This record gives sequence, C-alpha cells and structure tokens, in this order.
Amino acid sequence: MEPTICVCVYSMNNNLFADMLSKSRITLKLDLGLFTKRLKDSRSVDQRDPGWKLFGKVPPVQNSAKDSRKIHKEHETKCGQFGDPTSPRQSVRKNLEFEPLSTTALILEDRPANLPAKPAEEAQKHRQQYEEMVAQAKKRELKEAQKRRKQLEVRCKMEESIGNAALTWNQEILPKWHSVCASRRVRDLCWQGVPPCVRGKVWSLAVGNELNITHELFNICLSRAREKWKSLPVPVAADTESQDREASLELIKLDISRTFPNLCIFQQGGPYHDVLHSILGAYTCYRPDVGYVQGMSFIAAVLILNMDTADAFIAFANLLNKPCQMAFYRVDHSLMLTYFAAFEVFFEENLPKLFAHFKDNKLTPDIYLIDWIFTLYSKSLPLDLACRVWDVFCQDGDEFLFRSALGILRLYDDILTRMDFIHNAQFLTRLPEDISADELFNNIAAINMQSKNKKWAQVLFQMGSPVLKRS
Amino acid sequence: PKITYNFLFKFLVIGSAGTGKSCLLHQFIENKFKQDSNHTIGVEFGSRVVNVGGKTVKLQIWDTAGQERFRSVTRSYYRGAAGALLVYDITSRETYNALTNWLTDARTLASPNIVIILCGNKKDLDADREVTFLEASRFAQENELMFLETSALTGENVEEAFLKCARTILNKIESGELDPERMGSGIQYGDASLRQLRQPRGSAAQTKQQCNC
Repeated sequence: MEPTICVCVYSMNNNLFADMLSKSRITLKLDLGLFTKRLKDSRSVDQRDPGWKLFGKVPPVQNSAKDSRKIHKEHETKCGQFGDPTSPRQSVRKNLEFEPLSTTALILEDRPANLPAKPAEEAQKHRQQYEEMVAQAKKRELKEAQKRRKQLEVRCKMEESIGNAALTWNQEILPKWHSVCASRRVRDLCWQGVPPCVRGKVWSLAVGNELNITHELFNICLSRAREKWKSLPVPVAADTESQDREASLELIKLDISRTFPNLCIFQQGGPYHDVLHSILGAYTCYRPDVGYVQGMSFIAAVLILNMDTADAFIAFANLLNKPCQMAFYRVDHSLMLTYFAAFEVFFEENLPKLFAHFKDNKLTPDIYLIDWIFTLYSKSLPLDLACRVWDVFCQDGDEFLFRSALGILRLYDDILTRMDFIHNAQFLTRLPEDISADELFNNIAAINMQSKNKKWAQVLFQMGSPVLKRS
Repeated sequence: PKITYNFLFKFLVIGSAGTGKSCLLHQFIENKFKQDSNHTIGVEFGSRVVNVGGKTVKLQIWDTAGQERFRSVTRSYYRGAAGALLVYDITSRETYNALTNWLTDARTLASPNIVIILCGNKKDLDADREVTFLEASRFAQENELMFLETSALTGENVEEAFLKCARTILNKIESGELDPERMGSGIQYGDASLRQLRQPRGSAAQTKQQCNC
C-alpha cells in the first residue's frame, strides 16, 4: 500500500499547513488527492477545522472569533501531533518556500458561522499574510517559468545534438560498421555516449555473434524452457541435482520481480516480465552447464530495454561468453581472483594513496567489484550512466569494466580516503544516485591503463592463471 | 560525529535466496520495510551502534548473496565473524532444508565460537507457512542455536534477533568464554574501551568485576 500523508488544516494556521508540506517534501498535486493520510497516529481527517480551504468558495468575511490565544495554544498542541512545533516566525520564513502553484489555489476563508468570528485586527493580519503569500507565490512562479524556459532550451539543444548524433550513426557508421568500427572516430563517438535510438543496433554489432545464434535457435531453446516450466511443479525429487535445477527455475521467477523493481516493467503483470523470463529460461536451456546465476537478470533487462527479444538473447549469450563474464558467471573463484589481482596492479599505480588506505583497512576489491562486474554496473550506477559504460564496454571489452571501477574510485578518492572499512564498503556497494556522467567519464579517461608498458591483457596474462594461459 | 563504542562485532546474515536477508538488515538499520529491493550480488553492508547490557557495541553486518552458486564467493566473508543470523523463510521448506549446509559452512569457516541465531523470517505470512515453529525450535535446540521467528515486513523480532545475538556474545566475553584478542574472533575493542584498562588473559572474573563498576 502506498504510504500517504494526513494534512489537517486549522483555522489559525495556514503556516502550519505550508510548513508541513515543505517538511514532508510533497509536491502538491491536487488531483491526486491531497488530503490523504500517512502519519501513523493521524487523527481522522474530518477532525480538521475549517479555515484555509483549497479551492473553497466562501469569500473572506470579517467576524470575531474564538480567543486567539486559545486557538494558538490549540494549534501548538495539534502541531505537536505531527512532530516538533515550529515558532510562528519560523513558519512564516518557511512559508516563502512554499510551492507557488498550489499557494495560488489557497483561498482566504473565514471561520464558519457557527463559530465566533475573528477579531478585526486578527482578520486584517490574516488578510495581509494571505496577500503576502500570494504575491510571493506569483514572484516565484515567474522565476520558475523562466527557469523552465531555460531548461527547455537546454533540453532542446541536447535533443538536437542527440538527433545529429543519431543521424551520424545511421548514415555514416552503421552501414559500414565492419570497416569503421575500429576507427578513432567510432571510439570517440562511443565515449560521448551512443544515442538511445541506435544503441541496440550498436551494441548488437559491437558484441557480435561469435556463437552464430539464430532466431530459430532462440525459439527452440525457448520452447524447451516452456516445456520445463509446464512440468513444474515437480514432486520433491530425491537426487539433489534435479532439485538444484528446479531451484534455478524457481529462482528466475523470484529474481525477475527483484530486477529494477522501481521501473515496474519487469514485475509480474509488467510489459517486459515475460520477455525477461523467456531470455533467462532460454539461456538455461542453451547453456545448462552455466544455468541461471544471480546478476544475469540485470544484464538481460538492460538488453531488453534496447532491442527486441531474439536480438537481446543473441547479445546476452554472446556477452556472457566473453572470457571475463564466463569466469564470473561460472563463479570460478580462482579466475576471479586473477582478475582482481590484475585490477589491483592498475589500482596501485593510478591511486597509490587510496590503494594503501584500502590495504590498511583490509578492504579487498571483491567486496565492490563482484556486484559491478556481474551486473556490468547496471545495478550500481544510474541506468543511463550504466548504458554509457556499456557503450564503451561493448567495444573495448572487460578492460573497460575495470577502468570504470578505477574511474569511480578516482572520482570519490577524497571521500574514500577519509572513511573506515565499513563506511567505504557501504559507500561502494551503494553508490550515490547523483553521479554526474561528465565527471565520471572524465575520471575514467584519466585512468592510465598501461602498467610498466604493459596493457591490461598482458598484466592479466602475467598474473599466471593457467586457465588464462591455456585460452 | 564519531560515536564511541566499547566493542565492534562482525555479523553475517546468511541463508538461501529470497528469504529476506537484505530486508531484515534494512529493517534493523532503517526501521522500515524495503519495498522495492534488488537481489544482492556478492555482499552488502550495514552498521549500527547498539546498547547491550550497558555496553556500546558497533555491529558491522555483512549481508551475503543467497544463491547456492555464490557460496564459493561468500564463504570468504565468513572469516572472523562473531555472530550470524541464519535465515530461512517459514513459507518455504526448501530454504529450511538448506539450513544444515549453511550451518556447517558457518561453523567451519567463521570462528568456531560463532554465535548463531536462527531466524524464521516472513512470520507475517502465517497462512502460507510450511515450517512450524515447533519443528524449527527443535532444530535450533539440536544444533545449539538461538531461535526467533521474525518479520522484516512488520519489524517483529528483527531488532531482538540482532540484539539477542550481540548480548550472547557480550556475555561470553564477560564470562571469559570468548577472548576478543584471539585472532579471528570477529571482535574488536572500540575507542571507548581503554586498552590500558584491559586485564591480562585468563582473569575473566576480574574483568567482569571491573565492567560492573
């Protein structure tokens, strides 16, 4: 159930009303039902005294009222129900920050006839306050309108540049992809971010289809997966292996609902629920030796958002087939450690101070890298930023994943050096939501991926994993 | 502002996928139910300073991924844990059946003295219950675990689970059964415990006396 807020309006207190709204950071959306409840101990709504009324029709009338001191006291006790009472002066101050659009909808209203009227002086004061409020609101509205216009201009400019970029991609790059994909220009364009409208195509081409998966093969895998689902639920089997496989299908179901839950499109009943289910199910039939591993649903989901089902499956299977992804999704621990060791070589060279600090605090890279590498940042970075990491990753491969990790560490170098183990671990496993794309990419660009004249792949090879040497 | 504390305990939250481990942690830290939660990949963290028996204890909590496949990874996080919440879902027998495996891992990989509390989570879904309270409490008794049924949704018994575990560890320290200075005990002295005041090893009774004053 959606938690809601209870707002009670008291005769004395337009300020309280404004104050509570600003405290609760609610944007007034009148059509969405303002007077709903949230606070646990909310008194019933009908208890609210008439006074300031939204879109009320009663014209302001002057009549004497309850002893104002008494009302004030009443207000204070009622205020107390909702948290700390604020002094009237503070309230007035906060009042100025009140949402203007909704303030203009406030209409000065008097006490109902069955109550004693306000004293003239008080009514006058209220009228004055009301006028001030409206004047302030109008001023703010004007300012906001200007701000909106500026924002619109910026957006238009951005859309235009995206449109231009899309044109470049569609007309100059995509038609002759294989001859230009390794060029400096395409590389630069990928670093700038691929426009969302061509992203799916670019990723598909860049990831390639080394596995030669056809749409037919996808359909065959999918129908096999469906047969399996139909035969569920299987009675409790004795041998653990079949139980494990069954658990894997169950786990897919469970995890789909826990994949980008805030987007509300992959959950049961959402438009992409079945698509995500299909891709993950088909993959367990395509690669039963790998099966479903947590983290896959995020990768599949990001692909689904950018291409149609069969193409998403092809990209998914090919992406997971890359050596780094295979190492992680097979949970080959020793091979994962090799990647972490190579990462640490570049970590130490690029950020020696932070590296030493992490060492002192026993903060090992697996703690944050596992989540980042498994989900290709789609869970840890804001989605649009994650897509931009993918834009380059699809071209450059696993090296860029580790370079991005160093970019993140570099971006937050100052904060991280000042925190202890637990705060760093918490920070890195739950990155800030307001990471600026430009800043992050500047930091990624500043990372040097050469160590003593050796490139990432060479350092990785040198780490001496027999598995890597064989391949 | 830095909060001073007497001890720091490393805690684990372990158990099968979808049993509500991250939600328990979130409820304990934030005091509310995490509605839209992703599944954990690898490990996530939480920390909270609690007051137990007159001592300030900082809990450093490692919330691990639940999928069987991740065990080889999460196992490496067990070392040096002082306490653990072993979580199953009362509406899923499968998660209950997996407890023995989790328990073996915890006892062999963390410190042998690790204090474990069994948590039957999703207590609020009583209508879908597949594991009775009695059965689980018998299991707990046989395996020397503490036991609570919890609800990360309503918050019932969530704080109790963490506190109970912390209190038991603290009692063991005071009785001398646990030695915080032993390597891998999962316990560290906080800045509030003056190191000079500490007793030489083997004088547990004296330590206790001093703690009371």
